[in-house]
Amino acid sequence: MPLVDLKDVVKRYGTNTVLNGVSLSVEKGEIIAIIGRSGSGKSTMLRCVNGLEPIQGGTVAFDGTIVNDPGTDLRKLRQHVGIVFQSFNLFPHLSVEKNITLAPKVVKGMAPAEARRLAETVLRKVGLAEKIDAWPDQLSGGQQQRVAIARSLAMSPQLMLFDEITSALDPELVGEVLKTLEEMAREGMTMMLVTHEIGFARKVADRVVFMHHGKIWEEGPAAATLGAPRTPELETFLSAVLH
Amino acid sequence: MIREFTFTDVLYLVAAMRWTLALTAIAFLGGGIVGLAIALLRVSPLAPLRWAGTVYVLVVQGTPLLAWLFVFFFGLSILGVEVSPWIAAAASYSIYAGAFLGEIWRGCLQAIPKTQWEAGASLGLSMAAQLRYIIVPQATRLAIPPTVGFLVQLIKNTSLAAVIGFIELTREGQLTTATTFRPFTVYLTVAALYFLLCFPLTQASRRLERRLHAAR
Repeated sequence: MPLVDLKDVVKRYGTNTVLNGVSLSVEKGEIIAIIGRSGSGKSTMLRCVNGLEPIQGGTVAFDGTIVNDPGTDLRKLRQHVGIVFQSFNLFPHLSVEKNITLAPKVVKGMAPAEARRLAETVLRKVGLAEKIDAWPDQLSGGQQQRVAIARSLAMSPQLMLFDEITSALDPELVGEVLKTLEEMAREGMTMMLVTHEIGFARKVADRVVFMHHGKIWEEGPAAATLGAPRTPELETFLSAVLH
Repeated sequence: MIREFTFTDVLYLVAAMRWTLALTAIAFLGGGIVGLAIALLRVSPLAPLRWAGTVYVLVVQGTPLLAWLFVFFFGLSILGVEVSPWIAAAASYSIYAGAFLGEIWRGCLQAIPKTQWEAGASLGLSMAAQLRYIIVPQATRLAIPPTVGFLVQLIKNTSLAAVIGFIELTREGQLTTATTFRPFTVYLTVAALYFLLCFPLTQASRRLERRLHAAR
């Protein structure tokens, strides 16, 4: 059974159809890069996986649970699906430690001392062990994003979603975040990442999904798909982003 | 009979401030409880709850406080329900302050970006936990200046309770004027006493805001 299974997903905002019959399955341990123009529906698709976006048609399943079933306990599901956003979305009124330990303490009832040790562990993973007592606004964009990744990791998710997590960063800070992702990839984390970093997608992803007009236009093994596009749309897109 | 405006009159005015303060405390407490409920209704994900909150605010903000005082004190007694001035004042001021505080706090809650809710929800936090740990702490800092601003208005608006028999600061001033015929001196004293109540509040608000900012 695939870990993530999207079948004919339709998402509309009023009369605007953002996802027009999207089907995709992701196996445990796979890394999927999702590329496409802005407005092609790639971020929306990602946000359907943890139920942040309600859908109007089709099904989204995670580990056998139907995400779009009104009876599904999304809170429980989201403990297993981490998401990192383009704009970091750290809690500005909480220290780095409290950002990370809030959910383990409140959702899982973890004791404060244990939660602090957990924060130390996940911060080490993203290379920011020394920032545990810092405040979000004292960190660079790249560091904030790594704290956001650590915050997700603290819930020990089975799947991580990354929504253009390097798009808001200064170019010289992109590398440190991508390095963190590579680290996670090596550890076998299942990941779906919406990205504009084509080189990174080619290097790390198992599969590339190219979205266009709310559909999956083309998908396949990363190197082959990016090296030899089968559709003119992907070819145009790649030449535009790679110039 | 006209007599002099003496220090004793000033003491009477100061003594009358206790009703001003008591009315303010009741209004702020009652209004705070109502306001919190209204603010939560207004940001509820359920449309009927939002509508209920909106209708409440529209009705109360669109009607004078004086009218509520009359309704509770005189109106109900015509219907055969005897209402003490305290109950009438507590009810009227809670209804009135609740609408304004509710709107202020709703604005502060909504000023927190939607992405903060999303980040909380994505970590598996319940709606209540998102409010308690993420949204309310951030909204509180925003809420302090307008809330204190409203509290200062409230102090001054307690003078309306004179119509249902409260002899608070302004009413005491009127009575003193009637016997001393020194309106200028009396009302300047009354104004100074109001200032003594309000000024420290605005100062405290600034300090609190700075402190919360330093602590993030």
